[in-house]
Amino acid sequence: MDVEAAKLIGAGLAMIGTIGAGLGIGVLVNGAVQGIARNPDASGNVQTNMILGIAFAEAVAIYCLVVALLILFVG
Amino acid sequence: MEKTRKWRWGVNRWFVLLFAILGFFAAQAYPPVLPHIQLPAEVTAHFGNFAWTNTMTAMVIGDVILLLIALLVSRAAKSGQLVPSGFSGAVEALMEVIYNLTESTAGRWAKSIFPFFAAITLLVLVSNWIELIPGVDSIGLIEKAHEGGHAVEQVLPGVVTIAPEEGEFALIPYVRVLSTDLNFTVALALTSVFMTQVFGVRALGPRYFEKFINVRGIFTRPIFGVIDFAVGLLEMISEFSKILSFSFRLFGNIFAGSVLLFVIGTLIPVFAQSGFLLLEFFVGLIQAFVFGMLTMVFMSQAVAGHGEHAEEHGH
Repeated sequence: MDVEAAKLIGAGLAMIGTIGAGLGIGVLVNGAVQGIARNPDASGNVQTNMILGIAFAEAVAIYCLVVALLILFVG
Repeated sequence: MEKTRKWRWGVNRWFVLLFAILGFFAAQAYPPVLPHIQLPAEVTAHFGNFAWTNTMTAMVIGDVILLLIALLVSRAAKSGQLVPSGFSGAVEALMEVIYNLTESTAGRWAKSIFPFFAAITLLVLVSNWIELIPGVDSIGLIEKAHEGGHAVEQVLPGVVTIAPEEGEFALIPYVRVLSTDLNFTVALALTSVFMTQVFGVRALGPRYFEKFINVRGIFTRPIFGVIDFAVGLLEMISEFSKILSFSFRLFGNIFAGSVLLFVIGTLIPVFAQSGFLLLEFFVGLIQAFVFGMLTMVFMSQAVAGHGEHAEEHGH
């Protein structure tokens, strides 16, 4: 197989890891929205923590993205 | 009673229409070309042995913008008005949000931690939003490409544009978004994590390092003491992984955003990019806020102590 083609396939495979981050963010926002719906007064606090949690969950997806970018554009 | 709206679109809508039509014809005349994408920043000038990259230019621009904001706001604060108006009012509102968030998390350490939160948020915000200025990433020097170059086409005397045909030239932009340089994000992450340790030592003294090398219980409670020791080692690893995740989060988001803008601009030259610019506006804002807020939260955890005696020792 061509090296270039293998690189493209590898970059695509690397992005599979984002499934986990997507699921995580979905679960997280589900919980946060339910919390806000039950107690709208706490929405500010819940939102802050939700954004923090999203940032952590998203970090995994970003690692996948960086790996894919490295495969595509470096070397 | 319904309020009649004072502000109307006025003359602006004609400008929007004019630019849309101009953009359409410009895209017909000079179709956009996907630029050569590379991870390291491009070198635009040499000063002796020192290579000046295009992200450094962006850093200087960002710093100048921040200094101008500081001058403007300090002048408004000195003018004696109790309620600042216009731009300085907006900055005050932002600062108030950041300070209240810090105070609710860090308590009495808010005054020491707040400057880091605010400075990191503002710097990252400005460096992310440079992406939205037209001309960034698209105006620059035409140089010989190493691979996959394009032909050039004369537009005006002395001005050329990249044409879709195969050739041997490539564009080296004068300004490239600062956050797409890994050096910047790693430097910022190192600053953040190092200052977290400094705050921990300031708050708890040498006892701060018991979090990492925990030998207190290793003889009195053999089993749990060993577990505590292993947990301390994990804490040390997590400090290093913070550097990694801080730098890659910002870099990955903004670099992927730039690549997305390049690709969309090439595929659909008219209208479509506006929507993605809006997306990048929010991504830049959220990433700046997240970087600052995580720094603040880690610093608050460091000063809050960890063991049973942390509360009495803090001052």
